Amino acid sequence: MDDLRLPTFNSAGHVAHCVRCLDGLPASLVEMDASRMAIAFYCLGTLDLTGSAEHRISPTDRESWKEWIWDQYVEGGFLPGPFVRGGSSGLHTAQQPSRVAAPHLIMTYCALLALAVLRDDYSLLDRAALARTVGGCQDPDGGFATNPGAGDADLRMTYCAFAICALLADWSCIDLPRALSYIQRCRTYEGGYGQTPQGESLGGPTYCALAALYLARLQPAEWRATVRWLVHTQAQAGGGLAGRTNKLADACYGFWCSAALAILGAVDLLDARALCGFLAQCQYKFGGISKAPGENPDPYHTYLSIAAATIVSADPAWGLQPLDPLLNASHDTVRWAKERVSVAPREPKR
Amino acid sequence: MALKLPERPEWTDVVPVPQYENIQPLAPIFYSPEYKDATDYFRGIVKTGEKSPRVLELTETIIRLNPAHYSAWQYRYETLITISASLELELVLTNALTKASPKTYQVWHHRRLLQTALCDPVPELAFNEEVLKADAKNYHTWSHRQWLLVHFDQAELWAGELSFVERLLAEDVRNNSAWHHRFFISFETGNTTRTRDDADEAVRRELAFAKERIALAPNNASAWNYLRGAAFAELYVVDAVEVGTDDVLDLENPAPSEGAELPCAAAIEFMADVHEARGKEGLSEAVKYWRSLAHTHDTIRKSYWEFRIRDAVANAGAT
Repeated sequence: MDDLRLPTFNSAGHVAHCVRCLDGLPASLVEMDASRMAIAFYCLGTLDLTGSAEHRISPTDRESWKEWIWDQYVEGGFLPGPFVRGGSSGLHTAQQPSRVAAPHLIMTYCALLALAVLRDDYSLLDRAALARTVGGCQDPDGGFATNPGAGDADLRMTYCAFAICALLADWSCIDLPRALSYIQRCRTYEGGYGQTPQGESLGGPTYCALAALYLARLQPAEWRATVRWLVHTQAQAGGGLAGRTNKLADACYGFWCSAALAILGAVDLLDARALCGFLAQCQYKFGGISKAPGENPDPYHTYLSIAAATIVSADPAWGLQPLDPLLNASHDTVRWAKERVSVAPREPKR
Repeated sequence: MALKLPERPEWTDVVPVPQYENIQPLAPIFYSPEYKDATDYFRGIVKTGEKSPRVLELTETIIRLNPAHYSAWQYRYETLITISASLELELVLTNALTKASPKTYQVWHHRRLLQTALCDPVPELAFNEEVLKADAKNYHTWSHRQWLLVHFDQAELWAGELSFVERLLAEDVRNNSAWHHRFFISFETGNTTRTRDDADEAVRRELAFAKERIALAPNNASAWNYLRGAAFAELYVVDAVEVGTDDVLDLENPAPSEGAELPCAAAIEFMADVHEARGKEGLSEAVKYWRSLAHTHDTIRKSYWEFRIRDAVANAGAT
């Protein structure tokens, strides 16, 4: 087996796919309107992990893309895009958040990391307001909603809240014991975590739970059942990872489950070669990666497949940057964000 | 809407607000004229803060074009409450929208808001089953069902759940969502109508149930995970129950169905765990089972089975 070569990794094609998506999306993807910042994060993240951010982004693009991201800033966080706002830029009119245009916790996490890929200096960020937003999203039961009072809490937002606290190096804005109790209540008899308390074990929330705990420099009391469940997501036939027991493999779970194992220090228990073989088969011939072989590619599966490949140390010939599994960006990008988000704000440039 | 909004007399008083995109936006969407039109008017409405019946028409148009437009949902719900619109009628519409977009977070969140206000969970449970018929593993649908049960916590609601889940497992014994739900109704703490005796009884009943289903289809990870979960259910119920372990371990009873693919990796793993739990005396037996998994029966997890051997040897040495 060991001398079998992996299929070719079309790095340039995946970068081209993401650059195309950054340039524009067809009307059929209108559902992405409420998560454009996440698309931006996956596309820029692909450039980051393939080591192309430096040479594929022109200085002009870099500046105008940063400006677009800051246009989505309302005091204390970011919106997914301009879809609820009219008039002029938020930056220039200093928009206050409103009920319909409240900062969105997931989009705020995505924006902060996208800005790090673009090597922004965060001089426009109001850190105290950001901390208030994170705290304001926490519900009495410890979970986090997408925006204060939205009532839609699940582990995705718990993770984003913890990631932002880690970037700020400030945990005083959240009730940590309550947040931990919420995470604990999402754990299931299978060993993984459900998206909400009582939910079925699922790869994404399992990653979110473990990453959140380790970002807070904590560990789960019991990890053996979690490792067991995670390694059993790998299909004997095909080598891909599934998100739930008895479901088919999907490229995105190649990341969620392998990164969860990496956090537990157990990623070497997967068959890395078989996983990379599956991910390589999910490559679309004209660039981009899809959830399963033969499907259409998108930035989400492209980025997460590449992140999975770097987590399991794919063939060095694939030329990928090492990834920080807790914050989900290259080490250089995470270092950039940590050094600058946490510092005291300087005088705004304007 | 048949006519474009600017051409309709009842909308002439609204000043549409175009979306501001900056010179070089990231991932701009080439909107359909219909969507652009509706969202321009939505931004106009939000600006003036209007809450009126026509806002319901407008937000419905947007939601039908983009069910993930959370602001349209949010503004719609506020409008419903402000103008005291019929939430029963809204539920009828939401039923159609749910069936059209069953994998959108927002449609389920809207249902939750409506149920919280309407407090009518029995028909909601029936509708939920209808949606599961189209996709028996839809995560949102199951989450909503579990929320309904815990939120209303009525004996009447819990009563039908075991037979409901039995029906789904009869259709597909590998439906892990149904197995998970069975665990939730049997052992989790959301049901306050259950007594201590019920909990004791549940462990015995569920172990037997899982073993019967394993005999039916041995290579079914869902049933094995369930058996493990039920065997260790003391983690979930308040007090431990004495479980006849011999009964659980007797994997020959009931016997596997004819035509089952044997040996079954999950059974070997289960036996290894049982021997590991015996401590030092069981270790060599457990190692034998793990080796057979690593080399023959479950080779993709070779590194994992080797880790289990190292881990067990280290633990045995430590005690």
